[in-house]
Order: sequence, then C-alpha cells, then structure tokens
Amino acid sequence: MQSCRRKSLWLALLASWLLGLLGILPLLRLAVPTGPRAGAPQGWPRWLDAELLQSFLQPGELPEDAPQLRRAPRGGSCDWGACFDTSKCRSGGFKVFVYPAAEPTSEMQHKILASIEGSRYHTVSPTEACLHLLTLDAPAGACSLVPPKWNGGKNHLVLRLHPASCSGTFQLGWAMVAEASPTVDTFRPGFDVALPLLPEAHPVRGGAPGQLRQHSPHPGAALLALAEERGGWRVAATDSSACPWDGHCEQDHGPEQTHPGAALPNATFCLIPGRRADALRFLQALQAGCIPVLLSPRWELPFSEVIDWTKAAIVADKRLPLQVLAALQEMPPTRVLALRQQTQFLWDTYFSSVEKVIRTALEIIQDRILGASAHPSLLWNSPPGALLALPTFSTSPLDFPFYYLQQGSRPAGRFSALIWVGATGQPPLKLIQAVAGSQHCAQILVLWSNDKPPPPSWPETAVPLLVIEGHRKVSARFFPHSAISTDAILSLDAHSSLSTSEVDFAFVVWQSFPERMVGFLTWSHFWDEAQGRWGYTAERVNEFSMVLTSAAFYHRYYHTLFTHSLPKALRRLAEAAPHCVDVLMNFLVAAATKLPPIKVPSGRRHEDASPPRVPGDLGPAARDCIDRVAAGFGHMPLVSSRLRLDPVLFKDPVSVLRKKYRGLEKP
Amino acid sequence: MCASVKYNIRGPALIPRMKIKHRIYYITLFSVVLLGLIATGVFQFWPHSIESSNDWSVEKRSVRDVPVVRLPADSPIPERGDLSCRMHTCFDVYRCGFNPKNKIKVFIYSLKKYVDDSGVPVSNTISREYNELLTAISDSDYYTDDITRACLFVPSIDVLNQNTLRIKETAQALAQLSRWDRGTNHLLFNMLPGGPPDYNTALDVPRDRALLAGGGFSTWTYRQGYDVSIPVYSPLSAEVDLPEKGPGPRRYFLLSSQMALHPEYREELGALQAKHGESVLVLDKCTNLSEDVLSVRKRCHEHQVFDYPQVLQEATFCVVLRGARLGQAVLSDVLRAGCVPVVIADSYILPFSEVLDWKRASVVVPEEKMADVYSILQSIPQRQIEEMQRQARWFWEAYFQSIKAIALATLQIINDRIYPYAAISYEEWNDPPTVKWGSVSNPLFLPLIPPQSQGFTAIVLTYDRVESLFRVITEVSKVPSLSKLLVVWNNQNKSPPEESLWPKIRVPLKVVRTAENKLSNRFFPYDEIETEAVLAIDDDIIMLTSDELQFGYEVWREFPDRLVGYPGRLHLWDHEMSKWKYESEWTNEVSMVLTGAAFYHKYFNYLYTYKMPGDIKNWVDAHMNCEDIAMNFLVANVTGKAVIKVTPRKKFKCPECTAIDGLSLDQTHMVERSECINKFASVFGTMPLKVVEHRADPVLYKDDFPEKLKSFPNIGSL
Repeated sequence: MQSCRRKSLWLALLASWLLGLLGILPLLRLAVPTGPRAGAPQGWPRWLDAELLQSFLQPGELPEDAPQLRRAPRGGSCDWGACFDTSKCRSGGFKVFVYPAAEPTSEMQHKILASIEGSRYHTVSPTEACLHLLTLDAPAGACSLVPPKWNGGKNHLVLRLHPASCSGTFQLGWAMVAEASPTVDTFRPGFDVALPLLPEAHPVRGGAPGQLRQHSPHPGAALLALAEERGGWRVAATDSSACPWDGHCEQDHGPEQTHPGAALPNATFCLIPGRRADALRFLQALQAGCIPVLLSPRWELPFSEVIDWTKAAIVADKRLPLQVLAALQEMPPTRVLALRQQTQFLWDTYFSSVEKVIRTALEIIQDRILGASAHPSLLWNSPPGALLALPTFSTSPLDFPFYYLQQGSRPAGRFSALIWVGATGQPPLKLIQAVAGSQHCAQILVLWSNDKPPPPSWPETAVPLLVIEGHRKVSARFFPHSAISTDAILSLDAHSSLSTSEVDFAFVVWQSFPERMVGFLTWSHFWDEAQGRWGYTAERVNEFSMVLTSAAFYHRYYHTLFTHSLPKALRRLAEAAPHCVDVLMNFLVAAATKLPPIKVPSGRRHEDASPPRVPGDLGPAARDCIDRVAAGFGHMPLVSSRLRLDPVLFKDPVSVLRKKYRGLEKP
Repeated sequence: MCASVKYNIRGPALIPRMKIKHRIYYITLFSVVLLGLIATGVFQFWPHSIESSNDWSVEKRSVRDVPVVRLPADSPIPERGDLSCRMHTCFDVYRCGFNPKNKIKVFIYSLKKYVDDSGVPVSNTISREYNELLTAISDSDYYTDDITRACLFVPSIDVLNQNTLRIKETAQALAQLSRWDRGTNHLLFNMLPGGPPDYNTALDVPRDRALLAGGGFSTWTYRQGYDVSIPVYSPLSAEVDLPEKGPGPRRYFLLSSQMALHPEYREELGALQAKHGESVLVLDKCTNLSEDVLSVRKRCHEHQVFDYPQVLQEATFCVVLRGARLGQAVLSDVLRAGCVPVVIADSYILPFSEVLDWKRASVVVPEEKMADVYSILQSIPQRQIEEMQRQARWFWEAYFQSIKAIALATLQIINDRIYPYAAISYEEWNDPPTVKWGSVSNPLFLPLIPPQSQGFTAIVLTYDRVESLFRVITEVSKVPSLSKLLVVWNNQNKSPPEESLWPKIRVPLKVVRTAENKLSNRFFPYDEIETEAVLAIDDDIIMLTSDELQFGYEVWREFPDRLVGYPGRLHLWDHEMSKWKYESEWTNEVSMVLTGAAFYHKYFNYLYTYKMPGDIKNWVDAHMNCEDIAMNFLVANVTGKAVIKVTPRKKFKCPECTAIDGLSLDQTHMVERSECINKFASVFGTMPLKVVEHRADPVLYKDDFPEKLKSFPNIGSL
C-alpha cells in the first residue's frame, strides 16, 4: 500500500512536472500576447508590399508649407540669437565693463573685479562696452538695485558665484547668468554660463597646480574614494562592491580608511553624489587627478558649453551602482590614463584660479560672438587650452604649434630669420651670410630699430631680404609682422654670431619640437632663499630653463601670443624694461607648453659671443625683472632641463667626413 | 502529448492493486492531471501557436493584413510631454541593467492598424521611411524580441509626420501599448512636428514621459539630454545620385534653394542678390514648367531653370532658412552637396547637436543679422571653408544619408547616455575617416615631468649567464635613482641561483620565473613594477656607467612618452630592392633604440603585451628576435614621436646579437632584422618610425668646463 501510494505520488509529481514544463511556457506567452515565439529572433517583418508604402513626406508637401510668422513664439525666455546684441562687439572688439562693486563687497567679488580690471578686455566706459558685468555676491537685499545702464539686461552677464545669492529678488530681463553649479532645470544652454563652485579661499592668480605627479595610477592607489557627507573623503575597499554608496555601509568605516581632514584623495576614481553642495568636491577631485564619477548630478557641469567632460569625468546613473562599479573596475588602462591626464589639464587650464575661471567665462561669450571664427573644440579640449590658443590668430589647428600630431601633419621645412638691429647695432652682414647659407631659410627680415638710417645696400643673398624700419620698442621684435611667411622664426640680434651648421641643426631639432623654443645660449632661474625672491643666472651650470631670444627658433604663433595675450601689467613691464622681454617670452612659452626649452650646441664662438645683453653678473634691475614677471603670471611656469640635443655623431671618434654637421665639431 | 501516452500505458497496471477508498481519490487526481496535460497540450499547439507564428513569421506578408485594433472613444489619453524630464528622472534605467555589453536592448511593438469607434483609421498604417527605420533597428545589435529584457521600446505607430495622423486617437493608441507605463522608456520618431497655424516645434501628440527623437526642436521644446534632435530625412537622398564633389572654388558664393519662403525673407535675399550680383543666387519654384516635369527636382531664377539638387554643388554656402517648421529637409541636400549650410533659424536645435560639432560644418546666423550674412561669410578664411565643406559631406554620409543612419545615430546617443563609461568620443563622432586615420593621440599627452624621487625599475632579462648577470646587477645598483631591480628568469630548465649567492644591493631585488622562454616576457607588465619608468637591460650590458644610466633616467623624465635608449639604429628605404633595410653603421640619424638598454614608460609594457597589432607578438616569440624593433614600432605608432638616443656611441658588443660572433653570422643577423622591419611595417600598414638627427647629452658635455663641476662627468668614456 505504502509503495503503491508512493508510486502514485511519484506519478503525480512527474505529471505535474510535465504539466509545468508544457504549461508554463505558453502561459507566460499568454501574459505577453505580442511576444515572439521562443527560438531564433524574428525581428521586424519584411513586408511584401514594402515597395508600395508611401513616403512620410508626400512630394510637394514641404514646399506647400504655409510660411509662418517671422519669429517663433518664445515663452518669455531668452536665447543667444534673440537676447544678445552683437553689433556693439563687432565694431569695438570684445570690451567688458564691470559695475563698480556696491557695498558691502565680499572677498570673492573683490578678486573677480581685480582679475577683470587687469585683463585686456576691460574698459572703463560703459558705452563702448560689448558686455556689462554685474556681480551678485552680496547678501540678499543689496542686490535688488537695478544698475544705471541696465537696459533691460541686454548684453549683461550676471555673475553669481554662490548659488544662494540673490535668487529670485532680481528681475533678470535679457541678462545672461553665469552661476556656480546652476541646476539643470533653470540653466539655459547656449545662453547662460555654468561656473564651477569655488571655495572662498580660491587664489586670484596662478593657483595651485594639479597634484598628479605621474601619468598612470600608482599600483597601490585605491580604486575608489567616496565623498563623505561630513566633508572629506573615504577610500573604499574595492571588495566592498556589495555595499554601494548609499550611506548605509557603516561596517566599511575602518579607522584606517577614513581621512576626515584629508582634502584630496589618493584614488583613481572619486565618487561624488549629485547634490548641488557636492560641486565643491568635483573641483577637489579634479585637482587631485582623481577621475570624478558623478552620480546623476542635478547641476550643470562647469563650462559644459565648451568643455568635453566625457574626456575627464564619468557621469553615471546613481540607480545603477553595481554596473557603475563594474564598469570602473573593468575600465581599460588606456581610458583611465586619458581621463586622469585630462582632469589635470582642465584643472590647470580653466579652474585653478579665479582669474582663469573668469577669463574662461568671458572667452565662452567671445566665442559666441565670433561665431564661425570661434575656438574649435580641439583647442578647448587639448593642451594648452583655449586661453592660450587665440582664435584671432587662426581657427585652424594646423596653424598652431601644439596640434601637429593630432592633425597628422608636421611643421613645414622653412624658416624666416628675424634680425633685430637695436640702437647700437651695426648691419649684421656676416650673420646674414651665415643664415642665408642655410638650405632651410625662406626669408630674412631685418627689424631696423636704429637712429641711423639703414644702409642702402645689403649683401646679395639667395633668399629675399626685407628691411622693416621704425620700431623703437624692444617688445616690437615680437610683433606678429605680416611679412613673416613661415611657421618657424629664427630670432636673432645684430651681434649674434652663428654658423650655417648651427642654424641648420637647430632648425632640424625645432621641427621635432615645434611648440618649444630651441636656442643656443641659456639662463636658469632659481629661488633666492636669502632674499625670498626669484633670480636667474647666466653662469653656465648643469641645467637651464630659458634660452636667449638673441638666437632661438620658435613658432611664429608666440609673436601673436606675446603681443595680444599678455595682461596689461606685463605689457607695461616689457615696454619699460627692455632686458625683460627675453624672460617674458620664455615665461610665455613655458606657460603654454609646461616644458623646458631645448638647448643645442652653440659651436666655437659661444665664449666670446656672449651678447652684452647677457650680464655676467645680473644687476639688481635684471633680478627684479624675473621676480616681477613671476608675480604677473602668479606662478613660476619655467621648467628646468638638464640635457642638450647634439647631432648624433657629435664629437664621436669617427671621421669628420661621415658627420653631417661638421661645423659644430671644431673645438 | 507523448508524456501523457506513456502515463496511460502504466496507469491501468497500478489501479487494481489499490484499495477502493483510495481508488476514487487517485482516479480523480490522475484525471485532473490528465485533463490539465491535454488542455495545455492543446493550448500549446492549437490556435495560439498559429497566431503567434503568423505574427512573427519570416514569410513576407502584406501591411494590409495586420490586425486591426479598435480604440474606444473614451480610452485613456497620456499626459502631455513633461518638459522637466531628464534621463535621471523620467527614464527607467533599471530596465537596462541586463545588458552586459554596454548596449541597450530595443524592442519593437508589432504592427497594428488602429481605428476609432466608427472604424475610421487613426493614421496611415506605416510609411516607407518608418518601415525602413524599424527594419534598421531590427537588423542592428540593439534589437531584442524579448520584451521582458528590453530597455527601450519603439512603438510601430508611425508619427514621423504629424500631418498624417489624428492627434487624440494616436495618443490613445500609444496609451494602450502593453508596456506603455506613462511612456517610460518609449522612443517616438518624428520628423515633421506641428501643424497649421502655429506649427509647434515638437510633436503635438500627448506622450507623457516618452522620449522624442524630433526633427525640428527649438530651444523651448527640446529637453536637453533627454530628447534627441534628428534630421528631417530628405527622400532625394535615395532618389538622386550625387557623387561627391571635392572642396574648392565654386561658381556661386551663396545660394538659396528653398521654395516656400516667407515673403520677408525672400525680400531680404533679393536685396542680397541685388547688392552682390552674380555671386548670390536666389532660386524659387518654377512656374512655367510643363506638367510632366517633376517640379521637386527643378528650381528657377527668373527664366533660368536649374536642376535640383545638382545646383547645390555649384555653391560654397547654402542658406537653410526656417520655413513653417524649423527643421528643413534641404539641410540634408545641402550637406550632401558639400555646400556649407548657413542656418538662419533662431532657436533651432541642429540635428544630433548633442554629439555633432556643428561649428565645424555650418554657419549659424541669427535671423536679425540676415542682412549681414554676406560679410559674415566673407570673413571666413578659404582654408576653413574647405574644411567645412569636407565636414558637411562627411556628416551627411555618416548621419543623414539614410533612415538607417539616422536611426542608429539616435540609438547610439541614447546608449551613450545610459552607459557613459563606454560612450563614443567626440573625435569618433566628428572626425572624418581621413583625419581619424592620420591623427595620433598620444596616450601620455599631459606635459608632466615625473619627480625624480619616483625612480625607475630595472628589468633584466636573463637565461643562464649568471656571472654576467651579477655584474650587471652590481653596476645598475650603483645608479642613484634605481628603486627596484627585477630579474626575469627565462630558463625553465634551470633554477635561479640561491638567494645567498645574489649580489647584495641597496634596493629590493625580485626574481620572476617565467613559464616559457619567450622574448615577450621582458615586456610583460609585472605587478612588481611600481614605478612608471622602466629600464630594460640585457644581462650582458656592463659597459654603461652609473652616470650614463642616471642621465638616461633624467632624459626619460623630460620625455616620459618616448623610448630613451643608448645604442641607436636606423631604418632606410632600399630603392633597389624597394623595401626597408636595417642599418647599424655610424649614421647621422637614428629612428630606433635597442631595448638592450632603454628607459620607457611602463604603460608600453601593457600595450606590448595586450595591444600589439596583428600577430607581431607571437611572431617575435617564434623567431626569438626583433622584440626591440617591435617595441620601437609600437611606441612610435602610438605617440607619433621619435626615440631619444642618449650619450655618444660606445663600443657595444653587438648587444642585439647575443652569442653571435663573426662577420657572416652578423650579416644574416642584419638580413633578419631587415625582414622584421618589413614585416612590421606591413602589419602596421604604415611606417611609424620617425627619423631624427639629434641625441641627448648632458648640458656641459665636452664643453670647456672643469669636469668636477659637471653633473654627469663620466659619460662617453670607452
């Protein structure tokens, strides 16, 4: 009986199992009536009469559209085309007028005003201004005053560095808003400007450099750091993947993992929640070279109009924590490397100081005005960045010294020699012969800046020789003369002394390093502990950080940068202290490249050829120069190098006949 | 069915053995089971299955035969579109959690014909383009036929053209879709939104939270980061063959080819033409054509007749003005002709503007500035214009030319939002193939001089030359910046010497034993490498001084993205043989350095091991040669930069040809090396090596200066 019963139970089980097998599948399908039959995917059917189907657009339909009123209805809101008047900016250039600060001013407001007043956009006349800038950083109430030239807000940019200030109390009219971390709901893309949320102590100029010291993450670095609610960062163990970042992971709070005071984490990725207050953490992570992983941010990323944040940060959905974590763990090293480096580039270029933030905001507005001749995206998103790559020079990346590789091109094989003849100079006849002897020389330009008239006849040369008269200021030697027809410039003084071999070799080296200065004689800078200031020396030591422009190759773009991008204070300095232009030019190139210049061997005459402008012991004025330039830049961009590039067989024990640059061999 | 038969055979044998009181119970139980089985079996194979296979058969069927769905007049209507929707708020991303390959799955509802209560159709069942669009999605990797695993739903209700549909009833049809759920994760494609008289810039059909891929958004209706702005497809793309015309001077500077323009715009264009004469051409529809000529393909200026779209190829710039709608099909024709579009339509969101950089292919002019358009365009340099013409044509080829291209670009954009860590880059979207091919993006692009304190890890590859190895270890350990020494023991038949026998050095020394004697072991990214700088050194390189090695490291710090090595080599083109030749003589140029002694970034180990193109890695291991040439190719190809040779030439004991002596062997060696270069050049498809004429020496090298004051005095001694 028992066995019988068991058997029948067995059978019942078997039967119900079969029932399940056969029954559930179709039942499931019942629940999804439009679903496909199990098996190979079927896809969208191929209709027999597909050819007979009509087009969505009947022939002649579009042309018959009833033409409409001139303007689309606009819901009381603004966009660039409708609310900004570019006519003022075309005539007078991009000039910015800043409303004098209303009392009481905050420190940040002070910094902003200072940085704009020092910039080359600044104008004191509201009538000639293209853009009016109003800072709203005062406590609420003080900002309800409408400024005198308000004009309905047209061509006004309202700066709000703190999200809370003056919201709602102010009728914006047609004004644009540059706000720190604006919410995505009110942000008007292409019209407003999203600023970063800056800490109160952010420096005006210069600013701390990025903290990345190596390209790839250190093998010991943590994968992930989490922004704590109380401030600070917590390094998450990678195996805590089971516990996402929703704040319920108390067991993870090992004492050794928490860095409450540590502002900047040593991790590859930094997780930042999407709350607006966490925007501060975003900048912290950026500076630390920790790739920001933003979880569903409700605020617009800073300068999103021009910065391609996909190259430096990851905006992820907070609802998929495990997928995000898995994606981070599996991210290929190539991508990690690229993201890390981009964080540093962006921090250093656009965020490290108040001045850079403001300049970036203004540059964005200028780009909108320029329209087709604005910065291409490449210039914004790869070193040295849009603040140092001026669109007024060219909109084609090929014309700049920075993008040859990205564009798959290389510098052309010719150079222009630019010989500066100063007040005491003689016609540099020997020099002209030596330079003209180079196969790479395309033209020679003599900048005659002497009281005496230039000699009527110049030596016969194989290349065109042009004399440009009438420039008196030393800074004019770095003017972007329209006569310069090549990318490469060989800058020379009348008393420089070079051989054709030296010129040839230096130029070939420059072609490998077109963004740097390639020179023969060098200086190096040092920090003078005793006096607490920067100094520099011409004594030859084992390293250098500047090359003298009395004989140096560089890209012609640096003339434009020198003439059009220096802040007012530095321009005045260059005009007042002629010996400073060398230093200034070196600073400018170093600030753009973040690399040292290149030294090439200076052949037989370097001892006696020390130009008088190189003081053996630099006087106090010269010392002062580098310190003032450094103050003007806000930081010390110069980088030292310990190497010199020589020809491959330089002074090697082989026959001179095998050597290409024999002129350099003589002792 | 089969199973139930089996059961019936066994059944009768069991029953007689049971007691009566149980029998009834069991019979009842079995009959229930049996009935259930029969019922399900019938269910499985009877009408339902016929219906489903009917619905989804691969057999070709007619659109006219699709099932009819009657919509009751009072069936629900979705809410109007929610303007505040963003991916993080309105999109249900949990549905996309299944997809391991970072690819969303898209489901397409089957085609139905919707009629209202009185049997009047709601719209045309499907247009040719929408059918093409759904076919493209269905053929793509995105498609799934499993509605439960889908992340995105595409209704088969065709709303491409709002004019052809009844708004309220279409909305009702949407609302009754099986997974509608307030439109969450539903994607609607619409190219012609709005209707007379006010022509809204987004589809008027109430659609709740559904995403809209729309062809005429304005800044007021476009939900940034949620909707997708798509082109208005031009049917001429398929009808007319218009071969690419290279950039260069064209007959007209500015052309307007649109037919139905607002009289005010036409007046302004007329004024431009009057002012600038021949270089501006304003076309209109032809009024005097005979009936049989296709008027869509003709344009007229006064009595002159032009072929459209061919005439667009005669112009440098082509005006794309707003019509009743912001999105205009003419944009597609203009791009195709390589004519730079001059978009005059305030607040228009250009197609795919989330990813495409329209500044590179178009000029946007505010409507107010229409009178100045000529001078604005004239200020653009010729080279930039040519660049824009190329870019315009490329945009058309990649994203405009077919409905399929439009559909796939739309899905890719949505995919990139959901899997941002796997998103396609700006360059991939925007750079034309020719640029992509020629450009180099250096993986170590940040100008950064690593701190000296980091030091370097020396990796010595050795087989069994223990004595020589120990000498190398002793020499290298004298270099101040050495931070770790790694010996890669490539001999499986012999164990490395005991620990006590190794030289005592001041830095950690690790021995790694390999599983196979392969040359590529020298370039493996060992976990033990903690520094970025790696010094690869052979076990017989004992002639380098500590100054030379330290200086080499200093040079690497200034060029961390390059190979920095000691013996330099050159590749040359042999004109007689028409192939590459390897050169190790005293030359004025270098293009390679030997990795018998070279510094490089450890990232290149990763690239060598995992990203080496083609079969090069295995080929090198099989031939036991040329791993250094392969590394030179790899680094030059990925960075676009030349090597740096450090310090003067030394008397190296032919470091590349281990254990080879004598002239004849040396020559075979050279032949082999030349073959390597030719082989690698063909695998890379190009010759990436860069030739330079310089090497790096210390600043004061061979200068007339007291030796004791030089940082690196002991350099170049033989």
